[in-house]
Amino acid sequence: MPLLTVEQLGKSYNTHTKVLRNVNFEVEAGEFVSIIGPSGAGKSTLLRCINRMVDIDEGAVIFNGADVGMLNKKELRTLRTDIGMVFQHYNLVPRLSVIENVLHGRFGYKTTLQGIMGRFTEAEKERAFYLLEKLGIAEHAYKRCNQLSGGQQQRVGIARALIQEPKIVLCDEPIASLDPKASTIIMDHLKSITVELGITCIVNLHQVEVARDYSDRIIGLREGQVVFDEMSYRLTEQRTDILYGTKSKPVTQVRELLTV
Amino acid sequence: MQATTYMKRRRDGRISLNSGNQVQHVMQMTILILTILTIVAFLFFDYTGLNFKKALVETAHNLQAMFLEPALSHFSWSEAFYQVGITLGLAFLATILGAIISFFLALAAAANLSKEWLSKTVRIVLAFVRAVPTVLWVLIFAIAAGLGSEAAVLGMLLHSIAYLVKAFSEAFEEVDKGIIEALRATGASWWHIVVHAILPSTFTYLTSWTFLRFEINFGVAVAMGAAAGAGGIGFELFMASGFYFDLREVGMITYMILLIAIILEVMSTFLKNHYFPETVKN
Repeated sequence: MPLLTVEQLGKSYNTHTKVLRNVNFEVEAGEFVSIIGPSGAGKSTLLRCINRMVDIDEGAVIFNGADVGMLNKKELRTLRTDIGMVFQHYNLVPRLSVIENVLHGRFGYKTTLQGIMGRFTEAEKERAFYLLEKLGIAEHAYKRCNQLSGGQQQRVGIARALIQEPKIVLCDEPIASLDPKASTIIMDHLKSITVELGITCIVNLHQVEVARDYSDRIIGLREGQVVFDEMSYRLTEQRTDILYGTKSKPVTQVRELLTV
Repeated sequence: MQATTYMKRRRDGRISLNSGNQVQHVMQMTILILTILTIVAFLFFDYTGLNFKKALVETAHNLQAMFLEPALSHFSWSEAFYQVGITLGLAFLATILGAIISFFLALAAAANLSKEWLSKTVRIVLAFVRAVPTVLWVLIFAIAAGLGSEAAVLGMLLHSIAYLVKAFSEAFEEVDKGIIEALRATGASWWHIVVHAILPSTFTYLTSWTFLRFEINFGVAVAMGAAAGAGGIGFELFMASGFYFDLREVGMITYMILLIAIILEVMSTFLKNHYFPETVKN
């Protein structure tokens, strides 16, 4: 049974336009999947339907055997502990230290009172430091998050997702605000999450070349519909042009500009 | 010559830099009419029995007695400081209680943390409370509590809450909604988000606003001492001016209030420059 099944998913924010229409796909455990497509194609909405940060209008999302749309409030919190999320703007609390931000990932496992008092076990703290060590930012653990560079902040974001011990990590344009070097570091870390820890990754990307280099499979969205869903090597220039409605220049040049 | 279509010229042909709209015209006319009315009003005053030269001299003499020869005659220095302490105490009590209650109400009033109907209800009710002046609230509470410090604190408390909830909830709403989303995505509950994301992000603003309100409440507490018999330095000022006609004492008390106000102002300016968001500073 696949880890994640999306069936006939439809979503609209108002009556006129449908953001997602009839979206179907399956993701197996341990896959690295990229979602590409033009701005406004519904990539972010699709990701947020998976952990129900937005409500599902039509169809169903089945994660790990549970129908995401049918869960009550408490079940939803439990579900979200299994799903890590990484954001374009990192979304850390800027005035808190790195280690505090990482430990925020454990709130899903806490009762209200435990969470308010900030009671974390020694094991959780050790795990937090271990993750920071792995991501190469352990030396900044006690610094405030707003003193870190963008790439470093994104690594804190990844640590916060990983300390949840998730089955899947959703990344919403994780490298869109980063320079090429930081982008490579972040993508390498995300890749190693799948390869080393066996955690499934779904990544929204704007950079087609990056998607092709890193992912096992690519899903192309256009105007809320899946127009491409195949192994990444099968994404040709021609099909990219159809996806984005562009005409590409000679291949080599574009490649150089887009690769990070 | 496309630009000329948008260009406006004065009657003499020079290019105008004003958009020449109604608003400017109305503003000019309003100021003109107000000036005329002010001048005319002076002509209709009742000047009988007024010796202008004598009046000037007497006023100067009174001001001299008040501000150049201040002295305490009906109570001692220690008594004076004690009374200032009472006034500060009234302001402090109203502010601290108000800040604590406001924190929770502001959570209900912030659009990003609360349900829409709840947020709107709290805002509308508090807008009404804010519209009624503090003095009136004190007098309303005096019906139940009797004129005195209890009514004064209750009235000031109510108005402080209305003011602080607005300030606090706006600070909460400025918190990056991505942070809230990120914590919700980890499975954090509402209280977790409030304590570990909202509070650390806004704590400095909350303290600054609270102090600013303390400064306002000090001024109000002085007035309440006189108007509602709440005691403190305001009451002494009322006695000195209205009861004993002791201008020297009035001067002294004014100086004391001024000193406290300046100290508070300096402290709140310091806080403002250090901790307020750019948008509120001015």
